[in-house]
Amino acid sequence: MSTNLIDAYVSEIGHRLPRKSHADIEAEIRSILQDMLEERSQKADRPVDDEMTLDVLKAYGAPEKVAATYQGERYLIGPRLYPVFLTVVRIVFPVIAILAGVGAIINVAQHVASVDDVFRTFIYVIIGLVTSAVSVLGNIVFIFAILEWALFRAGAKVDVKGLPKEKEWDPRSLTKVSLPNQVKIGEITAEIIGCFAAIVIFNFYPQIIGFGFASNGAWYVGAGNWTFIPLLSERFFYFVPYMTLVWGLTITLDIVLLRMSRWNMLARITSIGLKVIGIIIAAVMLAGPSLIGITAESLSANLGDASAAQTLVFLLSQFVHLLVWLIIILGSLDVIRLIYRLIMGKEFPFLVPEKK
Amino acid sequence: MTNESLENVTLELRRGVIVLAVLINLGEEQYGYSLIKGLKNHGLEIDQGTLYPLLRRLESQGLLHSNWRIEADRPRRYYVLSNEGKTLLPRLKQEWTGIVSIMDKML
Repeated sequence: MSTNLIDAYVSEIGHRLPRKSHADIEAEIRSILQDMLEERSQKADRPVDDEMTLDVLKAYGAPEKVAATYQGERYLIGPRLYPVFLTVVRIVFPVIAILAGVGAIINVAQHVASVDDVFRTFIYVIIGLVTSAVSVLGNIVFIFAILEWALFRAGAKVDVKGLPKEKEWDPRSLTKVSLPNQVKIGEITAEIIGCFAAIVIFNFYPQIIGFGFASNGAWYVGAGNWTFIPLLSERFFYFVPYMTLVWGLTITLDIVLLRMSRWNMLARITSIGLKVIGIIIAAVMLAGPSLIGITAESLSANLGDASAAQTLVFLLSQFVHLLVWLIIILGSLDVIRLIYRLIMGKEFPFLVPEKK
Repeated sequence: MTNESLENVTLELRRGVIVLAVLINLGEEQYGYSLIKGLKNHGLEIDQGTLYPLLRRLESQGLLHSNWRIEADRPRRYYVLSNEGKTLLPRLKQEWTGIVSIMDKML
């Protein structure tokens, strides 16, 4: 039974070892166990028996523990790749969210015929978003796991682009880009996508922002062959070329920032300037005539209910006003934040009190 | 300091020492179990689970050579310093002496 026990033990360890080396390791462990048994047998002055074998195996340790000592630590995504993995996830996920949002707007515009459809579309969008997120995460993990495996096989000889190289790293680089001056890739990418989506929607698909009516009175958001009443007024679209210019310049600045990987004074001032222009446009829009193209009359003609039409127009008008106010407030906060960073980024050292 | 923390720090301290102790003791061929006993006789106890993977690692780094030999009707794996290991050992010893001298002054 002693030999059977050792065979079973060694085989248990072997199952957990790489195919390439398991036979060699198994043979070595078998040899060590025999040495241990021989010593115990001599000390106890009796031949090897089951009890002695069990004691030796217990002393040697559980098979999985022994196997683990030969393998070292293995990772699906190891410490070398994990920071790159996180950066990729942080860039990809906002992109998915924005694409899902734009997709939802287009979907609503093209297919929604009733309030029920809005909720149904909303649920589909959420389900689609979760499914895409899980699927994309799975794909990213899969790719990184393959990379990790390849790196493990190649040892430490391979350099992966984007990974910090210890030999080349210069501590002086820390002073070159202070923390407030570092470009946040996720933030900038999200801004580029947002601006691009806004340019496309307001310039090429303005018809998706509005209401259409079927002959039976049911309303839906969008155009097609239905009676269409645009949500936004001509007054609003008067500002679109100016907004497009700001969005276009913002995209240009963001691309430059991505290439530079750091903020400098000119970039900060340009960014502040663009945001201030955006705030001014929003303020002028707010001060002028209504931004809503729908009137209670045009709506009641289709809805057949004057008071409901009036309430809806009032709510829509308030909503758009609130949205513009929100843009002004958030934009102002952003400008304050950028000015603060401009100072803390030590572009103007005389503005920063020296620490003693 | 808790016992567990003490154990962890001690383990860390021993880890580097074990490599040097193994290399010093493998100037002449030895099989794993005899090496363990030899180190134990010197007062350095090493867990089997630590020693054998370490021997394989040192071999893969080119510091040791190993070969199987049949003795008393059963195979044993013998380890010995490679030429690279022999070149490296005096420098490691020198390094160790330096560390001990620095630590002695600190203690």
